Amino acid sequence: MSPEPLEDLREEEQAPEACPSYVLPEMLPYGFCPGCGHIKIAGYLDEALRRLNLPKNRVVLVTDIGCIGIIDKYYDMNAFHGLHGRVITYASGIKLADPDLTVIAIMGDGGAGIGGAHLLSVARRNLGITLIVANNFNYGMTGGQHSCTTPLEAVTATTSKGNLEVPLDLLETLRPSKPSFLARTSVFGEGQVDLLVEAIQTPGFALVDIWDFCIAYVGGRMALNKRAIENMMEELEMPAGVLYRGTRPEYARAWRDLYLTDTPAAPAPPKGLQVVGKSELDHKVGILMAGGAGQKIRSAATLVGAAAIMSGLNATQKDDYPITVRTGHSVSEVIISPHEINYTGIDDPDIVLLLAREGLTQVARKLKKCSPTARIYVDESLAPAVDSPGQIIALPLNATAKEVGKLAIGPVAFGAALARENLFPVEVFEMAARALQKRAVAEGNIAGLRAGLTLGKA
Amino acid sequence: MIEFIEGNDAVVRGAIDAGCRFFAGYPITPASSILVSMMRELPKVGGVAVQGEDEIASIGMCIGAAMTGYKAMTATSGPGISLYSENVGLAIMGETPLVIVNVQRQGPATGSATKGADGDIEFMRWVTSGGLPMIILAPENVQDCYTLTVAAFNFAERYRAPVFLASQKEVAMIREVFDYDRARAEAPPAFARPVAAVDCVYEPHACSAPDQVPLMSPIGGPHLVRYTTSTHDQRAYLTGDPEIIGAMVEHYQRKIEAHAEEMGLYDEELEPGAETLILAYGVSARSARAAVKKARAAGRRVSLLVLKTIFPVQEKAILRALEGVSRVIVPEMNLGQYVEEIRCLAAGREIIPINRMNTTLVTPSEILERGGLL
Repeated sequence: MSPEPLEDLREEEQAPEACPSYVLPEMLPYGFCPGCGHIKIAGYLDEALRRLNLPKNRVVLVTDIGCIGIIDKYYDMNAFHGLHGRVITYASGIKLADPDLTVIAIMGDGGAGIGGAHLLSVARRNLGITLIVANNFNYGMTGGQHSCTTPLEAVTATTSKGNLEVPLDLLETLRPSKPSFLARTSVFGEGQVDLLVEAIQTPGFALVDIWDFCIAYVGGRMALNKRAIENMMEELEMPAGVLYRGTRPEYARAWRDLYLTDTPAAPAPPKGLQVVGKSELDHKVGILMAGGAGQKIRSAATLVGAAAIMSGLNATQKDDYPITVRTGHSVSEVIISPHEINYTGIDDPDIVLLLAREGLTQVARKLKKCSPTARIYVDESLAPAVDSPGQIIALPLNATAKEVGKLAIGPVAFGAALARENLFPVEVFEMAARALQKRAVAEGNIAGLRAGLTLGKA
Repeated sequence: MIEFIEGNDAVVRGAIDAGCRFFAGYPITPASSILVSMMRELPKVGGVAVQGEDEIASIGMCIGAAMTGYKAMTATSGPGISLYSENVGLAIMGETPLVIVNVQRQGPATGSATKGADGDIEFMRWVTSGGLPMIILAPENVQDCYTLTVAAFNFAERYRAPVFLASQKEVAMIREVFDYDRARAEAPPAFARPVAAVDCVYEPHACSAPDQVPLMSPIGGPHLVRYTTSTHDQRAYLTGDPEIIGAMVEHYQRKIEAHAEEMGLYDEELEPGAETLILAYGVSARSARAAVKKARAAGRRVSLLVLKTIFPVQEKAILRALEGVSRVIVPEMNLGQYVEEIRCLAAGREIIPINRMNTTLVTPSEILERGGLL
């Protein structure tokens, strides 16, 4: 590459004579380095906006950190200058909030690199913002370090012996996501304004990758001038022009069409629990329900808590289970009490329902230390494995559940306990099931509870 | 009407009743159910909810939407707060109302995803660079999850600032009695965001005195609105002028600190002649309440102060509770964080931090034993 970098833009660097309508005359001249390509990009954008004649208060310019990020202060319109690399996220929030706004985001190649996840995501969503990347192949603001678009072998402040990282093709990276518009140009050729006009008019996501000129670092150290940049497009097979036009629906509108189908209204009031029974319980009772995944332990625990509440008691429920489904333990802790429940731990359970080996393993330490007054209702197959000073009440819980429905094992075990413990009226549990659960599920659980009661009384 | 619901459900209920109409979040235990519920519930009231590609995108979208006229909320846990950090600073700098729910879990790093802790208390206070004041509310039960979420929105809007709801797994994922009618009666009325008059010359950070709060105007509305992450003048133009920067910082400090008492939410059960004060927040306050009941039943005189507003520090309420007290017990599910705020105010008194950071609750008996209340 020929070392003649500094002359390319010098003649074009003066501020425009008559100030275009979207640029604030009192802010000129631009504060960029003399000869910087950003000055040209500022002009293209102004020209495009003038052609589109958009109302200023309905356009937002969202700018990134980096030299190009100071561009918003020259324009007479809404401006949002956010954190480095996150320009797409603010633009997305603004567009989602007001889909009719024209949202234009500008960042450098630095922002494209650090905000890569946002770039991929906004293209996949096809959210209707126009993104201009002022791509000058380096971090100019911080002294010319290499970026995600720095050419191979280029010497920068951080690649003193040459860059070993392949430059990112922004357009080809996003093309598989089929956003609305992907185009590339440079500050040297022509037609930039036409591309920007089309991009801004495109309803979905539009990216214009403008190969830019950094006179401070790239022109010198990297020896990238007009000819070199044009050659690079050829060598890297990243040509100028429109690479892709897509037809996918714009996300902010599509989301509203899909999700905001009903007329906004006050949400339906939630289903409440009525106090329908009376409990004679005069003290706090901690119930530990320990089983395995798939035994509907949590759902049974919720029924116990709800029934307690419907009997005028207080209740708390905490669940412990692994992130997997259909394997591992499922342990629920339910406290019921006629008093306010402050401390929600069960350090010494009053009642334990043991339904599977995985659950037993999980609560084994607690059982070993519990009081002799604890009542441990356990399936007879597990009873020999229980090591506890508590009273072990071995019952054919699983066999009984098999008769009424395997998923009712929780209510079966609780029914066995309820037969011997004066917690709350049996019928309130049945009412809780009918109030909270679908009919078939509720009836299955009620059958389980009744079978358990019979078992407990025997 | 009573229900049997989880803390996270109550947060969602409170947010919608407070006027939240934008939510963005990224899945993380134990905050995921807020994301899922908001995505289900917000469309029913015409609101917008999205799952961001990461936590940074989620809070970024919320900030953008909040400046475009929406009341916005996001929710995460400790690892996500790390990623929110820089944007919390942006929300402070741009005076963006935003509610951030932190459903804390045992840390550091991935820690125990499904276990509770209060390890992020001072992390939230000092979450971002610059060290400016934060507003942080801590619920102790499901009822609080509703009322404090409403309060968080009100403070966010009233003071144009990000507000943390310092929840945690033991509050967020416990199911207990929730009285919706009582919650609505006890929660403050939703604060409507005041906006600048259409015909005014709008300046985004103009206010009459340092402790006053500038009016908002939505992006896309009648005025041209500027917003910046950089030090700025009242028109939101970048400045390096030390006097203007100093005034900006004074404003951000005064608008919170001068109004600390207006944000004072706490329960005080002060007992005349008590030598011991238990000072607690969050789920540990429940253990404190149980301990106080037992101690009083045994004839002990003991005072209790449960803080719901943990930042800004409620100095007057704490000093009042400390009067005549020679011993202060501070239970926390961490290595002793908020107790340091108390040390600053409780000079000359014996301070007993009771700390647990093994995922289990501080027990009432531990408070009684270690606090000499048996």
